[in-house]
Amino acid sequence: MKLSLLIFFLFTLTSGVSQSIINGKVTDAKNNPVEGANVYLEGTYDGTTTDKNGNFSFKTEEIGTKTLKISFVSYETFTLTNDISELNNLKIKLREDLNALDTVVISAGTFSAGDNSKISVLKPLDIVTTAGAMGDFVGALQTLPGTTTVAEDGRLFVRGGDASETQIFIDGIRVFTPYVPTSSNTPTRGRYSPFLFDGITFSTGGYSAEYGQALSSVLLLNTIDEPDQEKTDIGIMSVGATLGHTELWENSSLSVNGSYINLAPYVSLFPDRNDWIEPFQGGSGEAVFRKKFDSGLLKLYTAFEMSGFELIQEDINFTDGVYNKLNNTNLYFNGSYTGVLADNWSVFGGLSYTYNKSKVVVIADDIKNAENSYHAKFKLKHHFSNRFKLNIGGEYFATNFNEEFKNPVINGISYGFNNNITAAYSEADVFFSKNMALQAGLRLEYSELFKELTLSPRLSLAYKTSDISQISIAYGNFYQNPNNAILKFEQNLSAQKNTHYILNYQLNNDGKIFRAEAYYKNYTDLIKYDTEYADFSSSYNNSGTAYAAGLDLFWRDNKSIKNLDYWISYSFLDSERDYENYPIEATPNFVNTHNLSIVTKYWIENWKSQVGMSYAFASGRSYTNPNLGGFLNQETKSYNNLSLNWAYLISQQKILYFSVNNVLGIKNIDGYQYAKVPDSHGNYASSTLRPAADQFFFVGFFWTISEKGTDNQLNNL
Amino acid sequence: MTYFKLFIIGLAISLTGSLYAQTNYEKGMEKAFALWEINAIEASQLFERIASAEPENWLPPYYAAETLILDGFSKLDNKNVLESQLNLAQTFLNDATAISKNNPEIMVMQALLYTVYVASDGMTYGMMYGGKVIALYNQAEKLAPNNPRVVLNKAGWEIGGASYFGQDIQPFCKDLERALELFATFKPESQFAPNWGKERAEELLKDCK
Repeated sequence: MKLSLLIFFLFTLTSGVSQSIINGKVTDAKNNPVEGANVYLEGTYDGTTTDKNGNFSFKTEEIGTKTLKISFVSYETFTLTNDISELNNLKIKLREDLNALDTVVISAGTFSAGDNSKISVLKPLDIVTTAGAMGDFVGALQTLPGTTTVAEDGRLFVRGGDASETQIFIDGIRVFTPYVPTSSNTPTRGRYSPFLFDGITFSTGGYSAEYGQALSSVLLLNTIDEPDQEKTDIGIMSVGATLGHTELWENSSLSVNGSYINLAPYVSLFPDRNDWIEPFQGGSGEAVFRKKFDSGLLKLYTAFEMSGFELIQEDINFTDGVYNKLNNTNLYFNGSYTGVLADNWSVFGGLSYTYNKSKVVVIADDIKNAENSYHAKFKLKHHFSNRFKLNIGGEYFATNFNEEFKNPVINGISYGFNNNITAAYSEADVFFSKNMALQAGLRLEYSELFKELTLSPRLSLAYKTSDISQISIAYGNFYQNPNNAILKFEQNLSAQKNTHYILNYQLNNDGKIFRAEAYYKNYTDLIKYDTEYADFSSSYNNSGTAYAAGLDLFWRDNKSIKNLDYWISYSFLDSERDYENYPIEATPNFVNTHNLSIVTKYWIENWKSQVGMSYAFASGRSYTNPNLGGFLNQETKSYNNLSLNWAYLISQQKILYFSVNNVLGIKNIDGYQYAKVPDSHGNYASSTLRPAADQFFFVGFFWTISEKGTDNQLNNL
Repeated sequence: MTYFKLFIIGLAISLTGSLYAQTNYEKGMEKAFALWEINAIEASQLFERIASAEPENWLPPYYAAETLILDGFSKLDNKNVLESQLNLAQTFLNDATAISKNNPEIMVMQALLYTVYVASDGMTYGMMYGGKVIALYNQAEKLAPNNPRVVLNKAGWEIGGASYFGQDIQPFCKDLERALELFATFKPESQFAPNWGKERAEELLKDCK
């Protein structure tokens, strides 16, 4: 007996029991072979990798029904469950994974400064390290195309729209009073500190049906979901001080931040054009609390701010100047919950409350107003597949505004309004392929004040023209109720309307981004009134119209030159409007035909420093010279500003920061003011409206104390 | 047939059976480690297949991730490929974590994944992941203060940060020396449990001299 033979036989017998071969070919949707795909029987060791022709073949001893799995990076995992004997000569087509990075994105109108966002043009850090932005997120966004330079205002003016046409949202919930009040020749700043946010999306048109009550633009800020570590941030600045602390627990965290700003020492060293009685002074506190649940995240954000100033401003009509005093108190609360429900549903619920109280004295007029606003929002998202997603939501906005007016002649009158709006929307995201995507939505709004129902369709379509480029188009209707300055006098009106048409081309090639966007906007139903200023005696209607057409270009490159990152924005804008008190259609004074912005950041390794430069050019803005016939008949000279900053890392946790706005001291002109009455020669005297200060210096020292000292406040600058 | 023959046959049968039962995993893992020398991606795929057959074992998904992560350091300039690869590695790490919670070895691997991002684009990811990396090392250190890979990789990260900011790296050299001592006495928990890093520690120490 040949024992060895028997053993050999037994071995082969065991291993040869019902051995079957599984084979086939793997291709993509266009029948190109896929090489390197992982093919295996789930739950077994049997499998292989496809060869360069996409073929695979392997043996298995498994019997019965099994699942064949084919996985490969950037394709959807393929599974086939069948009897082993059927698993041969397979022809398998893998579907592209639409979550992969090279999938087309709906990008018309949108600039994203997110972390992993595919369409990110700015990084979170850029918001705060841009020279000239002075740590203000709004200031940094003004270096992007589509914005116009209204230097004395500081708010966002987008594509021929005025500042009230841009709405700001924190975690999807509306902010009703986003800006700090300032004197008329000093630019304002965003109220909220940029380092609480890790995602910023700035849409200059054609945005989703989720957002309403904005004619021109939305700015979406997302607070940080999960801070990394416990730390204390200390900042000492030439204009004040900040203190922040983050505390972490197992499933929750709390960040608090307080700041105090006082311009008095600065103004006494570098006097400006205002005659300050009480220079700007403000204190603010912010807190974010986050709690993680098994399948959801709760965020509570609160900000409180008090500010005030008192001054005398030059005015051509008043020889002693105009006395101005302002005190503002602002409270903002925002709470939201995001969660995942079963079966690919996710849910979001949020609520915000704004309380804003202002007390203004102008010469002898005493104006007090208070705004109470709420926004509640609920939305559901269903993920049918990677190819089809549906969003539905509802929201309610409520604004209650009251004002009291008093002067030596009028002995106290009060007036106000309630502006409540109910809205519902639905929007679908459809990916036809990796190369083509559609977003189509519909928004319905009901205004209780006007008893008016509006319907806004929104549509955008994106098509990938090559591996690195894509074109998108967008269309949408946008409605917005008139702002508080009008509604407090007249409520028998209707919503203002805007229609956007956008064509976008984008090229994104490894550290280099080019975007070109052409648009046309058509405004109707704008508010008009028949007096110089809006007041009780004016008669109002919705007969105003406007248009804006333009081209925005953006180029960014951080690859070509080592340690240098730069971007260039150019906007061309042609816009005229007939609204408010305009006698004829004219180019408004917040429109610049040409806007150019160049921002550079250079990291000098030996100096442990980041040096930044930003240059802004804007062509002149219109103004009315009553000595010549006509309305908005003249144009100011162009605006130029070169700003520098320098961040020096003393150590990983200590940063010294310098910045100078308008290094060259260029004398910019915001406009001209004319006397109300002509002199004896029939000539209207004029004075130049100049910024409060041509230049601004800033020095700060920022220190982060953390357990393991690697974090710093570069974010904070 | 004699009893002896029957015994041999019986032994042969049981051996073949047990050989298969035992060696499928061992053979698979050994083959994957051998493949790793030649082709990291295919090795990762083999680890993925083993993971599918061994749903209770955290090691196959751990290595499926490690192969991709270490390979990522050679693809720092190819952003699209790198991100796809790291996304895949992340799913394997998630699988591994689901099987073995609070595992310092997996935390080290997660920190390394973030380190690849930071190495590829410090401007974008330095701020984003820097804090997370150090938090992971701190957490791993609390769980396993004498694990040589925890000590080594934490020191490696600190050295990277210090040299980026032009600071003295000497304070961390002591940690590297300590890691080397720990490697000398380290006993892996099982045949395929993580046992890498000694060479890396030696290499990093050269910069300290």
